[in-house]
Amino acid sequence: MPTGSAGLGRGSGLWAVGAVVTMLVVLPVLRLIYVVWIEGGSRLGEVFGRPGLDDAVVNTLLLAAAVTVVAVPLGAFVALGLRRADVPGRRGWRFAMLLPVLVPQFVLGYSWTQAYGRAGFTDSTLGLQWSSVLGPWGVWAVLVVNTVPLTYLVAAVGLATRAEPNLERAARASGASSASVLRDVTLPLLRPSIAAATVLSFVLTLESFAIPQVMGTPAGFTTVTTRIYRDLSLGSDPFSFVEALALALLLVAITVVIVVPADLWLTPRLRVTRVAHPEGAPIVTPSGVVGRWIAAGLCGYLVAGVVLPLVALVVAALTPAVGVSPSPGNWTLDNFSLVVNSRTMEALGRSALLAFVAAALLLVLGGLVAILERRRAGRALASLVTVTLVLPGSTLAVALLITYGRWLGGTLVLVLLAYLAKLWAFAHRPISGALDRLPDGELQAARASGAGPLTAVRTVALRPLAPALLAAWLICFVTALHEVTMSSLLYGPGSETLAVVVLNSQELGRIGPTAALSVLLTLIMLVAALPLWLQISWLRSPRRMSDVRGRSLAHAP
Amino acid sequence: MRPDATSTDVLELRDLTVDYDGVRAVDRVSLRVRRGEVVALLGPSGSGKSTLLHTVAGFLPPTRGEVWLKGRRVATPERAEPPEGRDVAVVFQSYALWPHMSALDTVAYPIRRKGSSRRAARDEALELLDRLHIAHLADRRPAELSGGEQQRVGLARALARQASLYLFDEPTAHLDTHVRGVFLDELVVRREASGGGGLYATHDAEEALGLADRVALLDAGRLVQLGTPQQLYSEPVDLWAARLTGPASVLEASVRDARDGRCSVIIDGTVVTVEAPADTPVRDAVPLLVRPGWARLGGELTGRLQSVRFRGPHCDYSVETASGNVLIREPGPPRHAAGTDVRWTLKRTWPMIPASRYQASDKDVDVS
Repeated sequence: MPTGSAGLGRGSGLWAVGAVVTMLVVLPVLRLIYVVWIEGGSRLGEVFGRPGLDDAVVNTLLLAAAVTVVAVPLGAFVALGLRRADVPGRRGWRFAMLLPVLVPQFVLGYSWTQAYGRAGFTDSTLGLQWSSVLGPWGVWAVLVVNTVPLTYLVAAVGLATRAEPNLERAARASGASSASVLRDVTLPLLRPSIAAATVLSFVLTLESFAIPQVMGTPAGFTTVTTRIYRDLSLGSDPFSFVEALALALLLVAITVVIVVPADLWLTPRLRVTRVAHPEGAPIVTPSGVVGRWIAAGLCGYLVAGVVLPLVALVVAALTPAVGVSPSPGNWTLDNFSLVVNSRTMEALGRSALLAFVAAALLLVLGGLVAILERRRAGRALASLVTVTLVLPGSTLAVALLITYGRWLGGTLVLVLLAYLAKLWAFAHRPISGALDRLPDGELQAARASGAGPLTAVRTVALRPLAPALLAAWLICFVTALHEVTMSSLLYGPGSETLAVVVLNSQELGRIGPTAALSVLLTLIMLVAALPLWLQISWLRSPRRMSDVRGRSLAHAP
Repeated sequence: MRPDATSTDVLELRDLTVDYDGVRAVDRVSLRVRRGEVVALLGPSGSGKSTLLHTVAGFLPPTRGEVWLKGRRVATPERAEPPEGRDVAVVFQSYALWPHMSALDTVAYPIRRKGSSRRAARDEALELLDRLHIAHLADRRPAELSGGEQQRVGLARALARQASLYLFDEPTAHLDTHVRGVFLDELVVRREASGGGGLYATHDAEEALGLADRVALLDAGRLVQLGTPQQLYSEPVDLWAARLTGPASVLEASVRDARDGRCSVIIDGTVVTVEAPADTPVRDAVPLLVRPGWARLGGELTGRLQSVRFRGPHCDYSVETASGNVLIREPGPPRHAAGTDVRWTLKRTWPMIPASRYQASDKDVDVS
């Protein structure tokens, strides 16, 4: 797209952004490889022979496989089910399916232990407890709940952009039953999206830290990420540090082995070659029965997976001490007044400031890469930034620590650098996607009508880009606000974030205060996210788009 | 005479109403497609053509009314046969070819669904592709086909369905002559066998008038006029219909003495006798439609030539008269310069009067 901001010094912009990527990602990863080579070198065999380490690696791989095997079909099934017009409250469910993502992983895991564990909510109210909620099964279940929204989203986007209703109608009109259409048309079209969801689910589980730490560690179930955390924060012998570095490198090596071939296969297949026709719902024989079953299933999933645990969390926060009956008569706000102290408030202030600054900078960085990649020279840069999406947080934190720790160790700046490196792709993807959807002619028309390059962008492009920009900011802000994987490895005295304070409190076994802190963290997230989310969906609503685009489309069936 | 209407009609819509997305997209439409007949649904975008087709195909249920296919009731508001159970084939807007299937597999698909073996289905599909002169493209996927080739594959898939009724949902490009020929041949063959028909939605009047046996004019979901292309062109129901179906001039003139298919019209003080229907109102200030071929240059009437447009085989002359502007089409190169006074003759008119005398459905009348 040779239009728009031509002549804004692309060459220097490319160099500047390239330098930032190098500093944030390339250099630290190279440094990690170098240090492992020098420090480990001859002792690497010894390091990997340490007791329990092979368990951690095997656990991590098994867990990633087990979560993926369940979360991907479930996500695809929900996406297909929610296309049916006879699901009661269809629009509401599409929104509700994404709610588990808004709950910080740490809070979700902790709330499950409070809901289903010994002396938990179901134990004290119904006498039902699930003893293995702490341990591999609990970790697996919560990771599935946490991953399904993402696999659902990938599948739903795939359906919306690739499985045009007319393609399915054509099969029906060719004499295929709805089952044949699913087998012959819908699923083959969805295959690349399902593959992408599989890779995403596997990689995200590999690098997950908060849930295994909260639910696995107390039961002696370790993964690579929790082992890195243990090595760095508790390790005393000299081997621990080398082991953490080696594990960080191993994690990224596994990721690369999975992602690179998958990416090569997927990239040409995921390219959207045609504009989807959003008009016209897919064909449905509105029996109503199936739709009601789907709605009931979703309801059960959300209640058992998210709502009940969160209720249990609130109850635990309101209950003064372990052993006290969690009945309303005993509820107090003691735990809240206990945790609302200067240390927490400072941590909260730090978290909010950090997330705000990180999101603002990321919007600029993401936007820059999205603009630069319109030119051939910028494309490599964009690919590099996208790769950071799957760079495990633990690896990134360890790499940044050994690269810049000498000068920045324990400061907020190091944590900020980690956020920028980890979330850059999160900001880049939505903006880049929105730029792709912006029709070429619109900017050219503005230029031909007498607008300068900046005026053209401001008057013509900014309005259609606004939802993507807001969404990018929101994703970065929310993710940074509850980030714990990297923060827990990088914080020092005076630079704890709120999420780290919650994690420390949980490690000390203080149930009430931890629950109260978790509730606070979640509330802050919701308060920050909901107004923006509503604003974004308002900007995106088809009614408004049709106001902009004219009424002619509104009638076309 | 038809002994039983429903047994010979390929399609019958009875008082069909379809609400789509909160909008009344089709409003009380009654329509028949007879054996071997192609009916065009003509209307601007948003007039309900596609919704009507989708209801016939089984993608949408009717809100009220019924759909009958070959004497069988396939859709009521309570119960709608699924698309695969109906004897219809659809050619889609932008063709809706499956991106993951080759042309051959695409065309073989409907045959396979009828229970043929893979081998037999492919043989039959290849034969169809050959009839459309695209057998050499059998292994290509849609992304490797041009627009015209995609259209042929889309039509071949529809023909492979061997249906009684073919639905065309506003094909993005006009059917080229060969494709149209193959399709019309197919209808003739079907008419011999079991009876076949076509319903062709388009917003292009030229295509509708040139292709169809009858044209159904739709506006805002209502059937405005139904008739042969000639009827729609020369006897439009109102000015909107007239403008939609071709160039239209309207003169306002006094009519005297209408009978025997002729009437006397006073234009600029001159009385002329023209062809006109017997029910032309005899009064002052009657709006009279004049198509470009209904007036000639030269004669007893006068006017001033406003503009001349050279159109290749003919020229369009816009003549300003005391009763209004009239467009006259004459073969050959321009014969007069704009701004000069010319003489002209009016041969035929059609009065634009309230539409109550038109039957906008074929519930009871036999138009053919």
